[in-house]
Amino acid sequence: MIDFNWILRGRCYLLGDDVPHADGVIPQQFIIDRETDPQVLAPHLFALTDPDFVKRCKPGDIVVAGRNFGVGQKSTGYIAMQALGLGLLCESIPTQGYRGAIHAGLRLLANCSGVTQVCQNGDELEVNFVTGLLINHSQAKTHEYVPMPAALQEIVAQGGGEAWLKTWALEHVASSSSKKV
Amino acid sequence: MSQTAIEKVLSRISGRPKLQAGDVVNPVPDLIMIHDGVVKSSKVMLDKIGIRKLSSPEKVMMVSDHDVLYGSAKAAERGSFNRQAAKDWGVGQFYDVGQGGHGHIFPMEEGQVLPGMFYFDNDTHATNAGAVGAFGIRLGLEISTVLATGSTWFEVPKTVRICIKGQLRERVLARDIGFFLAKLIKLGAIPVNLDNRVLEYCGETQQFSLGERVALCSSPTEMRAVGIFIPPSQQILKYCQTHAKKSFEAVYSDTDAAFESEHELNISQLGPQVVKPGAVSNSVDVSEAEGVKIDHAFIGSCGSGMYDDLLNAASVLKGRRVANGVRLFIVPGSQKSMNRLVQEGLMQIFLDAGALVLPPGCGPCNDAVVGPLAAQECSISTATNSNAGRFGSREAKLYLGSPLTVAASATTGQITDPRTMDVDAQLIERAKVAYD
Repeated sequence: MIDFNWILRGRCYLLGDDVPHADGVIPQQFIIDRETDPQVLAPHLFALTDPDFVKRCKPGDIVVAGRNFGVGQKSTGYIAMQALGLGLLCESIPTQGYRGAIHAGLRLLANCSGVTQVCQNGDELEVNFVTGLLINHSQAKTHEYVPMPAALQEIVAQGGGEAWLKTWALEHVASSSSKKV
Repeated sequence: MSQTAIEKVLSRISGRPKLQAGDVVNPVPDLIMIHDGVVKSSKVMLDKIGIRKLSSPEKVMMVSDHDVLYGSAKAAERGSFNRQAAKDWGVGQFYDVGQGGHGHIFPMEEGQVLPGMFYFDNDTHATNAGAVGAFGIRLGLEISTVLATGSTWFEVPKTVRICIKGQLRERVLARDIGFFLAKLIKLGAIPVNLDNRVLEYCGETQQFSLGERVALCSSPTEMRAVGIFIPPSQQILKYCQTHAKKSFEAVYSDTDAAFESEHELNISQLGPQVVKPGAVSNSVDVSEAEGVKIDHAFIGSCGSGMYDDLLNAASVLKGRRVANGVRLFIVPGSQKSMNRLVQEGLMQIFLDAGALVLPPGCGPCNDAVVGPLAAQECSISTATNSNAGRFGSREAKLYLGSPLTVAASATTGQITDPRTMDVDAQLIERAKVAYD
């Protein structure tokens, strides 16, 4: 059994609807440059809308967004979110973004109907991304959402697409140049 | 049991005969396409984790279309890297710069993407494959998973049908249909959510040639359709049979398949459209954008890179000159089209007009690796979208139009209704049969 933390606890960072991926999540230049390095991207999450965010946020904080989060079919910003140890709850997300977020290993719940109505910015939240349970400690309320399918949870639990491939390589590639730990 | 076209194709390649929308499969694609912009990140990552051999290298088509001229030393280094990667991986088909052309154009022209096929691609506009009744599906960075293992998870999408009614009027092109459709969807006049859906055109689609079908794929893809499907007509089947590099079997949706919804789109009154800056759904009738002064124009991209688009452009440019202070880039979609336009006299028309003809590829549409805009400038083009920053400066204003609208505007220096100009009727007629 993989030792993976499916439960995040931290502060709610509340966003509205239609947050564009380019500039709304991460500056467009990183998308144009096709940047994939988490160390390069992490300092720039929400840089154009909230430059201090990366200084304030802590691992376990949860981005709670409305409809069409990250619209623009890119996934660069999710690499940054994952590098910062954040989770994501959203009312909806374009499918390509959803794929990109899973590939980045981001813990997320999509199709969380009404979630922006039941959380306020700064609320203390605890989310179990396997069961879909959201506990809002600040408001003493719980909510249930549909978790991602088990097959996709496996990818996230491995650490995202690249890590999943690494495990796959250890099992399938005859002479792997990576060391077995 | 009844199935949509995408359900049938996925049933074939996943070996699960009764697939329906919502099922999750691991399809083994007929082809794996990757372009010059993402080879390096894929190879570096796969090498790092010890995967040096691809699952099915013979199925891989590596194209070079996003940065063909190498607009920088970094791009030249990347090109060098890509050539080595193609060798190391042993890819079945490697098209270096100057070979093939745009990955969403030349494979269909050359009979490599055929009716009924399914392939994975890193790039969004693989959906162009719908022009021949095939499916090209974008995976972005996940293309590495398919390169390494041969497949990845994919949810069978629902299908939304748009039923075409009527015929296009003179000087109105298929690209105008897409712009108009995007607006109707945004306004809710056609109440659909295209995200993760296949958009299937039905009704009076027989009228559309191969080039027009490619044009029909562009804007719905910008509205997030995961695939486009246009049932192949006899004309399309004949073209594909003539050029096919292997056998194929066209698929068609069963008439009683479970479509999510169906909507009529009457094109008989449609006029030329212009997309205003910001999003492809910001389209208006050309009369609402006439007179906007432009500095830059561009005809090409995977939305309008077919030979008929070049013929339509030539019909306006013949005997005219690009206006002073305007630069017009023309980017054919394939080497085949580039050769053809030289042989058939279009190159002379473009040169006499003062246009700048670039090698086949994305041209300025790929984040302006060529042909960028300065801050105060304004452009009209056949690019795939008009999002801020796409051609360089975020302060520049991008408009979109059909090849006729863009060509007309380039000659006057302002956005111009192509119906207000005389055009070469013979070239217009040749455009209609460009792929016969």
